[in-house]
Amino acid sequence: MDKYLQYYDLLELPPEATIKEIHSKYVYLKNLYSCNPIEIQALNEDFSQELREEYLSRLDDAYEKLVLLMDPKKPARIPQSLKIDEETRHWIEQIGCFDGAALRAVRERLGVDLKEMFVVTRIQPHHLQNIENEVFEFFRAEVILRSFIIEYARFLSLDPQRVLADYMPRYQSWTASPEGRGQDDLPDILTMLGQE
Amino acid sequence: MGESGRKGEIWAVGGGKGGTGKSFVTSGMGTHLAQKGGRTILLDADLGGANLHTLLGMNRNRHSLSDFFDRKVPLSEIVAQSGIANLELITGSFASLDSESINHAQKQKLFRHIRALDADHVLIDLGAGSHINTLDTFLLADKMIVVTTPEITSLENMYQFIKSVYFRKLKLIFKAHNLTATIQGTWKDRATHNIRSLKELIVHLKQSSDDIRDILEREMSGFVIYVVLNQVRTPKDIVVGENLKSVCSNFLGLSVVYAGHSRHDEAVHRSINNKEPFMLLNRFSPVVKEIRTLTEIIAAEPHPLFEKDMVNG
Repeated sequence: MDKYLQYYDLLELPPEATIKEIHSKYVYLKNLYSCNPIEIQALNEDFSQELREEYLSRLDDAYEKLVLLMDPKKPARIPQSLKIDEETRHWIEQIGCFDGAALRAVRERLGVDLKEMFVVTRIQPHHLQNIENEVFEFFRAEVILRSFIIEYARFLSLDPQRVLADYMPRYQSWTASPEGRGQDDLPDILTMLGQE
Repeated sequence: MGESGRKGEIWAVGGGKGGTGKSFVTSGMGTHLAQKGGRTILLDADLGGANLHTLLGMNRNRHSLSDFFDRKVPLSEIVAQSGIANLELITGSFASLDSESINHAQKQKLFRHIRALDADHVLIDLGAGSHINTLDTFLLADKMIVVTTPEITSLENMYQFIKSVYFRKLKLIFKAHNLTATIQGTWKDRATHNIRSLKELIVHLKQSSDDIRDILEREMSGFVIYVVLNQVRTPKDIVVGENLKSVCSNFLGLSVVYAGHSRHDEAVHRSINNKEPFMLLNRFSPVVKEIRTLTEIIAAEPHPLFEKDMVNG
């Protein structure tokens, strides 16, 4: 039991934490320490590559053991978003165009739900849903959608530039359409040029 | 509130790097505590850069800490009115706390006088850097606060500062229990013990002896550092503050409470340059609200159990 207390400790949770809390804390910590935000970089020698790898593997281990403890029937599933196997990588490479549907397919294949994504990206789940469904009328400014797409892609370990190149033209052609134009102040002459 | 002998809470504000807004946050917190009705004294202990008076819209005071050190004027007589009800100020000096010129006896005398001040809150604004006098003054406090900005250089200096504070604290604990040789020996042989970080050193020491474990657990139980994130510009910056708690406990072995943030605001910037007390004149600025919120969080946390005499050496 002492060992389990250590697992909780590693996940920075009290022993009465629920499985949901364990999961979201795991996703949070895994993302925090896999990426390299300034608050991690500033640690310099206090967080060497060696320490990082060791910490992350202990984190995975603690998560697996705790999930197994809470629900012995269902073996722990490390979210695939964070550990992409060869087969999945290959499958992702086959995707021709990262439109909304493709993004959803990747997300679902990696077993991530929108709430988990929100925890890390801080993008509200309904916005994420609008991205996937290509409901563009909620994105009045292109820059905002752009930054959301970058975060979305990063979270799923996709190349943000590649996703932007596929996705943004879909938004741009929507803004050029009569439906989109109604929402926008784009001068008609520009839209007409776009249609040429 | 009694007339004298009232035991106020000491807050110290440090943070390693200059320009992160330590004085700004100190004056803001002090103004809020004073507005709530408690007698609050600000002590400007910034090396050569004493400017709390400017932030409060005051002219430089006639008396300063140098009168305390050189002319033996009691600290309580250097206290000047700030113009804000319940808020008073002890101006810093050129012969500041950080300076090499202050000897051990003078430092102890200053600490005695600070503790004897008749106030509900004494807020000490420390200068940049991790000089030993700065660290000891920081450790004197009941509430230890660091101010940082969401910038890599500022975060680096903050980590360095809180590590120095932590080391100093450990050193004092070990000295008080005649264990100095043990910690020095362990750190020297850290390679053989596979110790790569401060946290691993503590874990090793705790495992090596039950006595040391008990001592450390008792002495460190209330050791918490509050982090204030200043000059925040984007929502992403705020996440930095939330992440610091995990980062500090995992890799420095330290408990940190994220007290809150205060954003960058041009109105506040202007009001500082106009030598106006910004807390009073920017009632609609979110910054004022944010400073109030974080002050409340720091004030609400339980009073840490501290062995004051540790710092006396």
